[in-house]
Amino acid sequence: MFSLFYGLYKYMFSKTEFHVLILGIDKAGKTTLLEKIKSQYSNLEGLPPDRIVPTVGLNIGRVEASNTKLVFWDLGGQPGLRSIWEKYYEEAHAVIYVVDAASPSRFEDSKSALEKVLRHEDLQGAPLLILANKQDLADAVSAEEVARYLDLKKLDERAYTFLAVSSYDGLGIKESVNWLVDVMERSKRTEMLQLRAGANLISN
Amino acid sequence: MGLVFSRLFSSLFGNKEARILVLGLDNAGKTTILYRLQMGEVVSTIPTIGFNVETVQYNNIKFQVWDLGGQTSIRPYWRCYFPNTQAIIYVVDSSDTDRLVVAKEEFHAILEEEELKGAVVLIYANKQDLPGALDDAAVTEALELHKIKSRQWAIFKTSAIKGEGLFEGLDWLSNTLKSGGG
Repeated sequence: MFSLFYGLYKYMFSKTEFHVLILGIDKAGKTTLLEKIKSQYSNLEGLPPDRIVPTVGLNIGRVEASNTKLVFWDLGGQPGLRSIWEKYYEEAHAVIYVVDAASPSRFEDSKSALEKVLRHEDLQGAPLLILANKQDLADAVSAEEVARYLDLKKLDERAYTFLAVSSYDGLGIKESVNWLVDVMERSKRTEMLQLRAGANLISN
Repeated sequence: MGLVFSRLFSSLFGNKEARILVLGLDNAGKTTILYRLQMGEVVSTIPTIGFNVETVQYNNIKFQVWDLGGQTSIRPYWRCYFPNTQAIIYVVDSSDTDRLVVAKEEFHAILEEEELKGAVVLIYANKQDLPGALDDAAVTEALELHKIKSRQWAIFKTSAIKGEGLFEGLDWLSNTLKSGGG
């Protein structure tokens, strides 16, 4: 009995933990982004960009920002590995979709992979942050231009935005995290996931 | 006191030590991998009863690599080696499709172990030199790696005989251990 109350207490008063999926095609800069977030929000150093190798699996970053706990899941983006993305959808509070803004030749691939993500019902209502990454490169296009290329339809039922960032030098990272925390705190999906967690707690 | 100084020294100069367990079913290639990493050669091996342990120095990390015998009867003894383990290398014979289900079950049982909760997981999809070997995506699927949500993992296609993929995996491991992963 005590443990039930304790569990409830913990459930109601502990800081919410938000799960954020970092998706995008290979070479978009997902892991570099994760490492940058880690170095800006925790006392871990984070790997320097030149040491980062293509991800074939899952990288995790746990940080605290504006009094919330964030868990980032960074999944490999090579074509053969994208099939595992959807296995992580159900528990995700929000999605960061990273686009290499300096590689127009890969916008098409990026667009179709994103459309597939958005069609998946396990991600219904999940806030979406699309990052026009690699702004440190001279030929990177703006966030507006990435938005135009991606030309997404039917986004109205979820909160979303486009931001320009550089995972390399850290431009736009704080703004991105702030946006995420803000929308996740208010999103219906968070409520839904919390209710589900609460239901599991009681049925256990 | 000596220990304090040696710790200080190694933290100043970036030498870290990590205890790593190499696990997997019998005949997955664990011992061949261990000696490939340690000596850079292929040695002919016999089924391991008990364990082999070697130190491999790579990327400023001293990997203390434990290769534990994989036969059914001795798998229960793996547990004796679990405390203080930072990483697990799980080796799969990618061409032995009949036993992938068993490999998956053993793997997920290991992940349940309380003493290994903090360990990162590196999977070697080994024996890529053999015909019919499954690729990394297929092994990912077969081992149900997506069920891992609270620790970092990576999979690499390897051929211990040809020496391919092993050090790429260690690169990932050393990066992950350095950036405080787990």
